[in-house]
Amino acid sequence: MNTISALAGVVIKELYRRKDFYVLFVLTALITVLMGMMRFFNDAKIIGYVKEICLMLVSISALVIAITTAARQIPAERENRTIFPLLAKPVTRGQVLVGKFLGSWLATGIALVVFYLFFGILSGSHENRWPVLILLEAFWLQWMMLSVVIALVVFGSVTFSAPSANITICMIVVLGILTVGEHLNQVAMQQNQPVGSIISMIYFLIPHLEWFDIHKLVLFNQPPVPWVYCLLASLYALGYTAVFLFAAWLAFRHKPLTA
Amino acid sequence: MMKAKSASLTSMDSARDPEGSAVIQIQKLCVEYAGRGFGQGPTLAVKDLDLRIGQGEVFGFLGPNGAGKTSTMQVLLGFREATRGEAFLFGVNVRQPIARQRIGYLPELTYYYKFLTAEELLRFYATIFKIPRSETERRIDALLDLVELGSVRKRRIRDFSKGMQQRIGLAQALINNPDLLILDEPTSGLDPLGRMKVREIIQRLKNEGKTVFFSSHELGEVETVCDRIAIIHQGELRVAGRVGDLVAKYHTDLEKIFLQIVGYRAESSS
Amino acid sequence: MRTSRAILVLLLLLSATFTLATVLQPQAARSTAHSPSDSPLNLFMGDSRRMFANHFYVKADVYFHSGFYPSIFDQARDSEVKENHIAAAQQGKEDKPEQEEGMNFLGEPKDWIDRMGRHFRITEHTHLGGENAREILPWLKISAVLDPQRIETYTVASYWLRGIGKTDEAEQFLRQGLRANPNSYQILYELGRLLYENRHDPARARNIWMQALRRWRETQQGLKEPDEGSLERITGDLAKLEEREGHYADAIKWFELTRLHSPNPDDVQKRIDSLRLKLAAPEHP
Repeated sequence: MNTISALAGVVIKELYRRKDFYVLFVLTALITVLMGMMRFFNDAKIIGYVKEICLMLVSISALVIAITTAARQIPAERENRTIFPLLAKPVTRGQVLVGKFLGSWLATGIALVVFYLFFGILSGSHENRWPVLILLEAFWLQWMMLSVVIALVVFGSVTFSAPSANITICMIVVLGILTVGEHLNQVAMQQNQPVGSIISMIYFLIPHLEWFDIHKLVLFNQPPVPWVYCLLASLYALGYTAVFLFAAWLAFRHKPLTA
Repeated sequence: MMKAKSASLTSMDSARDPEGSAVIQIQKLCVEYAGRGFGQGPTLAVKDLDLRIGQGEVFGFLGPNGAGKTSTMQVLLGFREATRGEAFLFGVNVRQPIARQRIGYLPELTYYYKFLTAEELLRFYATIFKIPRSETERRIDALLDLVELGSVRKRRIRDFSKGMQQRIGLAQALINNPDLLILDEPTSGLDPLGRMKVREIIQRLKNEGKTVFFSSHELGEVETVCDRIAIIHQGELRVAGRVGDLVAKYHTDLEKIFLQIVGYRAESSS
Repeated sequence: MRTSRAILVLLLLLSATFTLATVLQPQAARSTAHSPSDSPLNLFMGDSRRMFANHFYVKADVYFHSGFYPSIFDQARDSEVKENHIAAAQQGKEDKPEQEEGMNFLGEPKDWIDRMGRHFRITEHTHLGGENAREILPWLKISAVLDPQRIETYTVASYWLRGIGKTDEAEQFLRQGLRANPNSYQILYELGRLLYENRHDPARARNIWMQALRRWRETQQGLKEPDEGSLERITGDLAKLEEREGHYADAIKWFELTRLHSPNPDDVQKRIDSLRLKLAAPEHP
């Protein structure tokens, strides 16, 4: 566990010493504040659109941080040749994968906490209400979703030759699941065989990341999701995370590393 | 549990090393690369290599470019799997990560995490070896002084010169006080002062009873520091033995022995 | 590293200037003569701006339903869900059963994934009421900026603005819509409603509704399927105005026109008959 936590610590240090997080946070804050300064029909009480834009920027930023951080871990280690002094130590390739995953996930989680704090302060100060529970839930579920995404990207990083290809493919897959994943069963029913069966199979196989996006509940002041479903969704996410990490280990464990 | 596991592995694998005390044991090692082009067959980079390096030896592993030195090292370090044959470090099969618990490795091209400082890098590697915190700090201080980087311990690696990166590489190779040091072209790119420093460190390790296994093209250096050498060419071990014995046998210096082994013929001047 | 920092600073500045430009553009447009073809949005987006305008218009409806809204897949499956409810409210069709049937798009869960997913979605059909209706307004405004020729954006926004007491803003927005669409009888009709219901100015309301009627005749008469709903509303409101002002003869004239296009002619006829009785009463000359 020491090894894995040490590897994770290096990933977290890397993220906070690069500029990505700061740039994204400043952009998010700047755009949100500028949007908030706009007055539609001279009404200062309208806050819904600001919240929606802020939450959308938080989602995009978190996704970008997660995918770009995870995508460059293994390829950068190989390209920069830092993987050789690392694997020359008593470290298994599985530990490297888990350490990189954990570091990327924790680093993204820390970034997400900052983003949600900003959002919470922004919306609370406007509405004079502090829906802490629903915000905590939104953060937790989004973080769980990102564990699946990061594990998928880590698998992609040991499968695809170029990090850019990995990032592009994973981004498309994740956005595709978020936008149409929940509707594939409807689409399947409207198709002829065998296309319908194939779509249906995809529907049941993909991780349903749309469960983890409860921004609408936050936006429209809905009650929080019951904790038991939160827990089930978390276990679902961890299950898929384990599957992708296992697949990554299978792909990576015998891969020759050219010195 | 880790110690019990390594002990049982050692006892199981000691049967493969009847003479005992072999630090590196290579048996019938073959490393094959798949053909790159269409219709190209695989390339055999290392053919049936047998090698045994004992405790306390300074061993030079020599050969021209493409001879199979790097492939052999990659197998020893776990970067690549052998196509056939076995290799052992301290009696433990190299496929087991625990085999690398007592080794230090300095690669030819030294690249480390640019965003870490020198002491953060050493602390990271010390954590992997599960060295206790207090001992880690003591070793970091000692190693940074040894490689003369104490004044820049808080500087990030990205701001280091090539020579400084080489020296921090040496420090990370020594962080676990290894019983076996594997060096890949350790003096490559170093100025004469740097080369002298590396020679001094190798000599110091030898005096402490450590084993050093290194590849190099600097035959003069090899002749000075090595107890035994092996010359590999086109994947095959051509000669192995004590430097003095080889010089006596071939009646010439090591450089000429090397050229003769690899089949070099000087151009005749007309 | 320096190059990447410069690029990041440039991106920051670009986003700040773009946002400021969207704030300053309306003010700049007011001070200079502008035709729609000069708009930078037209230049950059072409006709795709209408697609985005529609997206934001629908977004307003999504907000009206507090996020409970059919997806395009639900809409493709069931054409009843296509009716836009913020417009239906403005046209007085809200809470009619046929309007709400289309919102029963969820149905029973199709599988365990659907069942589980519903715990993370909004599954209750509600409408934003009272002061909360203001949240739909930014989307209508953005929609109007993207497609100034979309009439219903102005009429719907005006309705909801009046509902939260922003009469001046509603009038200003309608007049903005008239500048972009001078022949729009729908905007004129809505302006008349504003003048009558909020400004309590029947004379101006009458004039505006008469204008609306003229525009309707200019644009709709002679068409195969004229917009009879709008005609019914214009003439009906004129009739009600005249009735409240005590001008029963004029009221009867407008109600007779209304009856020709009304889906409930019998109800209109009853009103005509009651007005005739009033007209015939001794206190009326």
